[in-house]
Amino acid sequence: MMMTQVETTVHYDNGYEYEYMNQEDDWDRDMLLDPAWELQQRKTFTAWCNSHLRKAGTQIENIEEDFRNGLKLMLLLEVISGERLPKPDRGKMRFHKIANVNKALEYITSKGVKLVSIGAEEIVDGNVKMTLGMIWTIILRFAIQDISVEETSAKEGLLLWCQRKTAPYRNVNVQNFHVSWKDGLAFCALIHRHRPDLLDYSKLNKDDPLGNLNLAFDIAEKHLDIPKMLDAEDIINTPKPDERAIMTYVSCFYHAFAGAEQAETAANRICKVLGVNQENEKMMEEYERLASELLEWIRRTTPWLENRTPEKTMAEMQRKLEDFRDYRRQHKPPKVQEKCQLEINFNTLQTKLRISNRPAFMPSEGKMVSDIASAWQGLDQAEKGYEEWLLTEIHRLERLDHLAEKFRQKATNHENWASGKELILSLNDYETATLIEIKALLRKHEAFESDLAAHQDRVEQIAAIAQELNELDYHDVAAVNQRCQSICDLWDKLGTLTQKRREALERTEKLLETIDQLFIEFAKRLAPFNNWMEGAMEDLQDMFIVHTIEEVQSLIAAHEQFKATLPEADAERQALLGIHNEVQKISQSYGIKANIVNPYSTLTTEDLIDKWDKVKKLVPQRDGALQEEMARQHANERLRRQFAAQANLIGPWIQTRMEEIGRCSLEIGGTLEDQMTQLKQSEHVIVAYKPNVDKLEGDHQLIQESLVFDNKHTNYTMEHIRVGWELLLTTIARTINEIETQILTRDAKGISQQQMKEFRSSFNHFDRKKNGAMETDDFRACLISMGYDLGEVEFARIMILVDPNGTGNVSFQSFIDFMTRETADTDTAEQVVASFRILATDKPYILVEELRRELPPEQAEYCIMRMPPYAGSGAPPGALDYTAFSTALYGESDL
Amino acid sequence: MSSYSVTLLGPAPWGFRLQGGKDFNLPLTISRLTDGGKAAKGGIGIGDMVLSIDGIATEGMNHLEAQNKIKSCSGNLSLKLQK
Repeated sequence: MMMTQVETTVHYDNGYEYEYMNQEDDWDRDMLLDPAWELQQRKTFTAWCNSHLRKAGTQIENIEEDFRNGLKLMLLLEVISGERLPKPDRGKMRFHKIANVNKALEYITSKGVKLVSIGAEEIVDGNVKMTLGMIWTIILRFAIQDISVEETSAKEGLLLWCQRKTAPYRNVNVQNFHVSWKDGLAFCALIHRHRPDLLDYSKLNKDDPLGNLNLAFDIAEKHLDIPKMLDAEDIINTPKPDERAIMTYVSCFYHAFAGAEQAETAANRICKVLGVNQENEKMMEEYERLASELLEWIRRTTPWLENRTPEKTMAEMQRKLEDFRDYRRQHKPPKVQEKCQLEINFNTLQTKLRISNRPAFMPSEGKMVSDIASAWQGLDQAEKGYEEWLLTEIHRLERLDHLAEKFRQKATNHENWASGKELILSLNDYETATLIEIKALLRKHEAFESDLAAHQDRVEQIAAIAQELNELDYHDVAAVNQRCQSICDLWDKLGTLTQKRREALERTEKLLETIDQLFIEFAKRLAPFNNWMEGAMEDLQDMFIVHTIEEVQSLIAAHEQFKATLPEADAERQALLGIHNEVQKISQSYGIKANIVNPYSTLTTEDLIDKWDKVKKLVPQRDGALQEEMARQHANERLRRQFAAQANLIGPWIQTRMEEIGRCSLEIGGTLEDQMTQLKQSEHVIVAYKPNVDKLEGDHQLIQESLVFDNKHTNYTMEHIRVGWELLLTTIARTINEIETQILTRDAKGISQQQMKEFRSSFNHFDRKKNGAMETDDFRACLISMGYDLGEVEFARIMILVDPNGTGNVSFQSFIDFMTRETADTDTAEQVVASFRILATDKPYILVEELRRELPPEQAEYCIMRMPPYAGSGAPPGALDYTAFSTALYGESDL
Repeated sequence: MSSYSVTLLGPAPWGFRLQGGKDFNLPLTISRLTDGGKAAKGGIGIGDMVLSIDGIATEGMNHLEAQNKIKSCSGNLSLKLQK
């Protein structure tokens, strides 16, 4: 659809007249009208006329009849043109009718239509062809003529319009106003193109022309206010439908859509113009609004930037800085954008207005570009100032914070150091301290004093910082001052306490030193004194063993000497106690609560007193003991003397008797019997003397019971006497026995008295030691003197014989035995063996019956019982070994 | 007075004279040695005391018992003696 310009109206010039006339050439004026076409035209034109006449509230039924009086014709024209025709004649006469029709025709002509051969009479007469032709002329002139599409008008224009509108529909090809419309798709396409909501074109089929046509006609009538003007069956059945009818119906579509389009275009145009207006207005409003907002924002923001209220803390200040940065980074940029946008908008608006010939935009008062610019400048300045102020403040606060922190740290450190010091300094620990502890405390205190001194300038520093904070007007300076004050107060207090403590410690030290000295002296003197006491105690309790009166006497003397030293000792004791008392006095009067113990001495005064008492007690005890002893010693002495007297008698008496006996036994003259008699006599005397010995034993027992072991009054001990007595008894018995044996031997061996004397003489001679027995060497010498030439072996054999017990002594009896043996015959054992051999008739064994035969029964049985069986060969059972038996008799067997 | 043991290889005679016994109240001693005899060769000395014969102590033995004990040793004779 061609967009016509806003300001132009539809022009058409009379040039169309010619073209229109050309169109008339298409139809045969000579009344050659196809009957089908006539029919179609009738239907269509009637419908067309009625579509207009309905607006006047009337209709025609019969096209050739109803227009005959011209009234409806004039009405039709009025409706179509919208203009008033001259008043119709109301008469019913023919000439009235003709006049009316002429009015109509004149009107048509006045519209530039050249009516050729259409007269009023023919119309009044109801000439169908003329009437149809006239209606066609009207249709052409009023419905089609004005159609202009892309500078193509009327019929071509209408055709072009159809073509343009149906171009998108591939199955529609409008080339003419007859056969192109037969399948109904063109109508449908036209409808669909403008009102797709009215039918679903995709569902249409060109093989259903009837359906398509009827559909299109129905929809057009229902929705487009285009009454049905064509008959679907007529169109289908006619090979070439009537062009004019089709054109008439199609023109209605054109007017329906194109009209709407025009209206739309017009409305658009208006809207566009209005829109531009509105746009501009909007832009102006927008500008105003943005400008207001921006200025408002600047107005709000500026005080904030001009605010110089200082903050208390760095953190708060930094937050302010942060806020400022946020402002710069986040809040301002959009505003900068806004300002920019505002400027752009302003310029754009102005340009637009200028282009569209509108007056320039004048912002309201205070919202001018210059206003905004100056306000913005103010903002920038405020910003700068604010930033500077922020940084300055931050620095200041930084410094303050730093100082405050320094203060806090130092104060805390100091407080930590000082905490508890007051308490320590107030301790009374020195009251219960020993000297060493006091010294330690003093040293500790010295250390503390130097520590205190070291802290002096620290305290001063703290105060200095507090001062500066005050000067710099720190926000929390009150707390600082309070803390500083308490630190200083405590400091002073510490100083005082330190001094007081020093004095107390020193004083206590002195006292303890004095005491210490006393203790030392005490210890120094107590030790030796204690030793003396212990020695004294020992001595006084000393168990003495004395054996003589003299010894006791010297002990007593010593004791007396000791007693003489007691007064001196007592004095020392008192001195020691005195020292102790002094210590007590000092500690009491100076309130020293410590447990005063003498560290130099393990001994206490109690020990001292204790021991002294003991010593005192022991002295008289010893006196007593010594006296007792003295008495005892005297008693012992008596016993000794008694014993001695007795022993001195008995001893010699025994000796005398022994000598007597010895002499007797050595006596050569006189018979053995004489000797015997003498000896018996002696024996008798001796036995009678026993009571004396017994008495001595008694005395000895007493002495022993008194534990007396020595006796200077006699050389004889009880043992001596006892032994001597025993010896005497045994000697006498032995000697008697010897004599008896000698008698026996003499008798047995037939030794004569003379022989005996000789033996005796020899024996006595070789008995060098004269003790009644010969020693080995004596015996050897004796044998040699008798002519025995003895080897060692033989001598040894002989020695065994004479001294079988190996005593080393040969008795007189043995000597005699030996001598007599040697002078005897051959081995007695051999003799006995020889005798048995004779009885055994030279056999090495003897039989039982032989023994019984040869020996007396008793001796025979004795032999039978004792003889061992003969173990040699060739002996009958029961043979007895007489050789073994014989040798056994003499205790000698050769094996 | 040391004791020693000696084993003489049999058979008898051993070449010594035995003297003593409980019945004589004398210790059993060697009173004589045959020169070159087995006892002399075995190192036995005159005067040596016989403590045991064939392992059996001679204490309490009379002469005949001792004699028989020695005689009953067939083969070797073991003696314990004291010098």
